[in-house]
Amino acid sequence: MAIKPSLPLALFLALAVLPLLLGLGYALAYSLGIIGYGAEGLTLAHWRAVLGSAYFWRTLAFSFYIALVTISLAVGVAMALAVAWPRAFRRGSLSLFIYFPLAIPAIVMAFFIFQLLSGGGLVSRLSWQAGLISGLEQFPGLVNDRWGIGIILAHFLMAAPFFTILFARLYASERAEALVLLARTLGAGPRQAAFRVVVPVLLRRVFPTIVLYGLFVMGAYEAPLLLGRQTSQMVSVLAVQKLQRFNLGDIPQAYVICLAYAAIVLTLAAWLLGRERARG
Amino acid sequence: MAGRFLKYAFIALLLFPFAFLLMLSFGRGWGYPHVFPEQWTLENWRFILESQAGLGHSVLLSLLVSLGVAVPVTLASFWVSRAVSYSPYRRRWLVLAYLPYVLAPVVLAACLQAFFFRGGLSGKVWGVMAAQLFITFPYGVIFFSGFWNRRMQAMEQLVATLGGSRAQAYIRVLIPVAREALMTCFFQIFLISWFEYGLTTLIGVGKVQTLTLKVFQYVNEANIFLAALAGCLLVLPPVVLLWLNRRYVFSGAGGR
Repeated sequence: MAIKPSLPLALFLALAVLPLLLGLGYALAYSLGIIGYGAEGLTLAHWRAVLGSAYFWRTLAFSFYIALVTISLAVGVAMALAVAWPRAFRRGSLSLFIYFPLAIPAIVMAFFIFQLLSGGGLVSRLSWQAGLISGLEQFPGLVNDRWGIGIILAHFLMAAPFFTILFARLYASERAEALVLLARTLGAGPRQAAFRVVVPVLLRRVFPTIVLYGLFVMGAYEAPLLLGRQTSQMVSVLAVQKLQRFNLGDIPQAYVICLAYAAIVLTLAAWLLGRERARG
Repeated sequence: MAGRFLKYAFIALLLFPFAFLLMLSFGRGWGYPHVFPEQWTLENWRFILESQAGLGHSVLLSLLVSLGVAVPVTLASFWVSRAVSYSPYRRRWLVLAYLPYVLAPVVLAACLQAFFFRGGLSGKVWGVMAAQLFITFPYGVIFFSGFWNRRMQAMEQLVATLGGSRAQAYIRVLIPVAREALMTCFFQIFLISWFEYGLTTLIGVGKVQTLTLKVFQYVNEANIFLAALAGCLLVLPPVVLLWLNRRYVFSGAGGR
């Protein structure tokens, strides 16, 4: 069949690839002092300043930690739910209501978590009513905290339903029930059938989505903006803050952060997904 | 019995954020340690209609932006994804389409901000729509990549064999067959645009006050009741779409 792809492919390049190249190219030129306010010619000073700063690496490590903990918890809980109640998420009321958290945007979820877990939030009020605390200052800091508990919880509440739906669908499409029956016939116990057969099959099918979702959480902006704190920021928040500061000298550093983050994330994605592909 | 209790408890947990937001949106005064607001009022909801409050304006603006992005992007990505899917380099094109998401839309916006500023699009509704195009269009292409398969190719070949033109193949066969996928893609792109915050803030420089920006503005002003109300308004369209068809919120063109 003759296909003339030139015009639509040109549109694809113009709308999907060109903005990316332009943006990254501009950021690179700005970060090297070639263009922009106060540019004095080619310099690696901004790169040295960012890559030599412990704060940048701490920010990157914090983003990675948030993504890793969120995804591990969400995938673990979703897998447990899908394996324990394989039919509940395909028919009946749960099969509808499990979609509802997907209707909540990140900024609203962050606001909800703040009103739930902050010192003056609902859980603190309930604790006071139950006599567990006698004032809001006694309530432990669960938002804007050092460990990013609020950020993790906000993303967990969005990711867990997503993976539950995904696993429940795959449970049916991969005929996991038949696999369990076969494993049981061959003498496996219920736990062995679940952990040695169903979980590896589902995890393998979902691995690329897990990687992409993890990277998405790593670059998250809204929830860390509301629920994070200045001393342990996530990388998107740090980049945007540097870009929007009144000190124009910070702008090249903002672009260095964007580019370094892009390089790290792309390497991570290529490595993880490439390795999975090589395994077949 | 225990299983049924667990199921209803789980459903209650899933619906709790909605009930909580709704409670705050009808409240006034929530002094510590009260569990419920001290006053219940419809005043916050009436606020939407007041022109000075700007919340009604934000609803209309968000609708305009999301519809203005979703309609052209759905049609364009449907057309373009055919060429991408049938290309010998399909996999490479699709990897490129994933990049804006892997890099994070807000990082992309940070890198592109200067171009929008120089093009006079910064702080403009058109600018925000154009910027959202750069993240929604690749999504549309990825979405439809599952639709263009051997069966569709065979249908096109059949139309050609029977003397039909390419336009007739689209109008009489492909678009009717793709109707459900087009609707799903339209609603999903609408929701990506409707939920968008970081990119809209950077390109709109805070002047394009969509609903997501209003939530953040009210949070900063410590007006939790209006923030909850704006949150309710943000959540409403996707919930309606869920009641209509859950595929509109979570599904690919191949039904995955």
